[in-house]
Amino acid sequence: MSTFWSDPLIPGHRRMIFVVAIVLIPVFFIPVLPIWTMRLWAPQYPEGLRLVIYANTILGDLDKINTLNHYVGMHAITANDFKEFAYLPLALTLFGVMALMAALANRRDVALIGWAAFTLFTFVMFKDYANWLYHYGHDLDPRAALKLDAFTPPLVGFKKMANFRVWSLPDVGGILLGIAWLMGPVVAFLDLRARRRRGGSRVATSVAA
Amino acid sequence: MKRWVVGTVIGLLLAGVVLSLGCAGSGATRKGSAAEKIYVKPGEHDAYYAFLSGGHHGNIYVYGFPSCRHITTIPVFTPEPAVGYGFDEDSKAMLGGRVWGDAHHPGLSETDGNYDGRWLFINDMAGARIARIDLKDFKTRQIFGPIPNLSAAHACPFPTPNTEYVFAASRFSVPVPNRAVHIEDYGKDFNGIIAGIKVAPTDGTMSLGFEILTPPFDWDLSDAGKGPSHGWQFFTCYNSEQAYDSLEVKASQNEMDFIAAVDWRAAQKAVDEGKAKTIGGAPVLDPHDVRGIVYLMPVPKSPHGVDVNPTGEYICASGKLQAEVSVLSFAKFQAAVQAEKFDGDRGGIPVLQYEDVLEAKVPVGLGPLHTQFDDKGNAYTSLFLDSQIAKWKVGPPWNVVDKIDVYYSIGHLMASEGDTRNPTGDYVVALDKLSKSRYLNVGPTHPEAAQLIDIRGPKMELLYDFPTYLEPHYAQMIRAEKLKPITIYPLAENTHKEAIKRAEDARIERKGNRVDVYMLAVRTHFTPDKIKVNEGDDVYFHVTNLEQDDDIAHGFGIIWSNDNMQIEPGETKTMHWKAERVGITPFYCSNFCSALHQEMQGLIEVQPRRAKIAAVQRPDAQQVSEIAAILQH
Repeated sequence: MSTFWSDPLIPGHRRMIFVVAIVLIPVFFIPVLPIWTMRLWAPQYPEGLRLVIYANTILGDLDKINTLNHYVGMHAITANDFKEFAYLPLALTLFGVMALMAALANRRDVALIGWAAFTLFTFVMFKDYANWLYHYGHDLDPRAALKLDAFTPPLVGFKKMANFRVWSLPDVGGILLGIAWLMGPVVAFLDLRARRRRGGSRVATSVAA
Repeated sequence: MKRWVVGTVIGLLLAGVVLSLGCAGSGATRKGSAAEKIYVKPGEHDAYYAFLSGGHHGNIYVYGFPSCRHITTIPVFTPEPAVGYGFDEDSKAMLGGRVWGDAHHPGLSETDGNYDGRWLFINDMAGARIARIDLKDFKTRQIFGPIPNLSAAHACPFPTPNTEYVFAASRFSVPVPNRAVHIEDYGKDFNGIIAGIKVAPTDGTMSLGFEILTPPFDWDLSDAGKGPSHGWQFFTCYNSEQAYDSLEVKASQNEMDFIAAVDWRAAQKAVDEGKAKTIGGAPVLDPHDVRGIVYLMPVPKSPHGVDVNPTGEYICASGKLQAEVSVLSFAKFQAAVQAEKFDGDRGGIPVLQYEDVLEAKVPVGLGPLHTQFDDKGNAYTSLFLDSQIAKWKVGPPWNVVDKIDVYYSIGHLMASEGDTRNPTGDYVVALDKLSKSRYLNVGPTHPEAAQLIDIRGPKMELLYDFPTYLEPHYAQMIRAEKLKPITIYPLAENTHKEAIKRAEDARIERKGNRVDVYMLAVRTHFTPDKIKVNEGDDVYFHVTNLEQDDDIAHGFGIIWSNDNMQIEPGETKTMHWKAERVGITPFYCSNFCSALHQEMQGLIEVQPRRAKIAAVQRPDAQQVSEIAAILQH
């Protein structure tokens, strides 16, 4: 199996990994694309309110949501509370750099390790996100004017909460991250298929030539 | 083969979408019942804003058309407790202690002769004042005047095509400067005034440009020249007889009164060259000394409205005591001035001859008052005595093509953008002086009446009849998309010097008998909400509404007092309250804001004069930290 780790990548696959690295730049390196969006509608908010999460901050109708949430004693949502915003762009940048290295230096091992680390990291971040949502819905101020049963906002998908209907979905950046992640299994599958058809050494020769 | 099939199907689908969008966007369709044409579905918006003057109510009514819904009222010359206009210190200073005005003629600001949606001017006829409303927030931002030497301003403000000037001409004549005289010396000692008021192009601030001394006629209405006549302002007058009593009879004797044509560039130049005398602090030009700034054109029988057509070629004067509109030609006027074909002068102002400037006489009907225009070369003239609107053709054969009844005794009328260079030709609204029995009886104070009329077809069609509160005179209708008002005041742009934006800054400061309360309002508390003062203190509440959400205004009312105001999201306002009696006085949010609105209240503790009260009071630390937690974002 040592040949598998050290074998160069097929040029088409290198290009795919390169594209992954490039596409991710606006998500993490210059975080202009939102990763996740929560939209909230109530009868008096037909236009909807938004919480938009970027790699490095949280934006949207924070003021309005916090002012409403203080009635039920929910902790105010502010970007300063999230230590994640300090390391999230760095971590994502690291994965992007690994993809870039794998593509430019033609390193199969770097590609695989990067993808595995990215996968693990995504799981950890989802768990972290879920913890935050649990915190906001459970650690309610006992002195709040309106006493609500503890609740958890939706991680993904739809939920009705008091007078609000809430949708929580990945945004453009999140979708790009998903596509980037999917490139792992796709490239792996294509690579394996190519090897099966042609035999490992012949692939290596053709790439070298 | 397959590809073109798919392409065609997609093309057809797209065309369908575009067509249906196009139909939806054009508002009321031409066909269908009157009810369908005015129906605006719940949640949808009107195609037009209209600004109806409130007359001696001193304000402006904002309507939406075609639904004829009253949307809001903008207080201008009259205090309005609901929003605290005239109650907070800034608006109180702007009103200067006055509590009424007679608001007659809204004037939307223009660029190239079309409404630009920046400002709305309106006159206080009785007070000789002009107000400017900023259409970014629909708030009165300047009241200019009383304009020196001016005894009431009816021919006012009628902005020029690029809002270079608004105008004000005296309806009554008095001595200039005003002094002890005998009424019987009217012809000798009295004068009229025509004033040009400059408007700053950047922010709309008004300042006095020039005044022109005229004989003691009663200046009535005005309109700005446009296109070829740009640079001229026209004014009608009655009482060229110079009667000072029994005007009803004595001022109706002359066959001809006048339209004054003012070359405002020449007038301003004369002032800038130092040709004016200073009277009452104003630069006044006397036509005896300064030639070429104003001319008089005779028009029959106490004309009322003067209206320049969209191309700027014709000046339409409605002789209210005759059955005709006299159409004067600007080109003929200019030729006569060039040729100096004058028939003497009045008060130093050269008088032209009626025949030299007349283009056509249109037999519209009895009691013509005002004229508006559409986009197809038609004019619409209100007929007070006939209670009708006459539609007539501007240009040969100058004939009436349609008439429609209105209910009753129409004064002004407004066509959609009907006094600009490009009227839209959709609607005319009749603004009637009498409603009689048109609506449910509410006793002897009848509402006024208005009718919405569709003018898109060859025949005028009555769509709706609705009451208005007293008393719209002129009104203007502007396409809704031209206005982009804000919905909140961004806190970041709040530069009010008494504003506070953090809970830590909430405090009460005392200097002698003056107490300044720096207060925050946010759902649903005032901070501080415990105020301690001495009897006799002058307490100034500086309240900042920290909300940034649409429509979350907070009120601030003090019980047993005359003091109440509303603070919009992001806004800071100051209100004065005198601590007149020892004891406790509650205050509360007087504008329903949210679920715990009732709890939004506080107490003022008034101690006897000598009682010792800290120079600085701050709310409890816990209160501050709780509020700071909400506001930390």
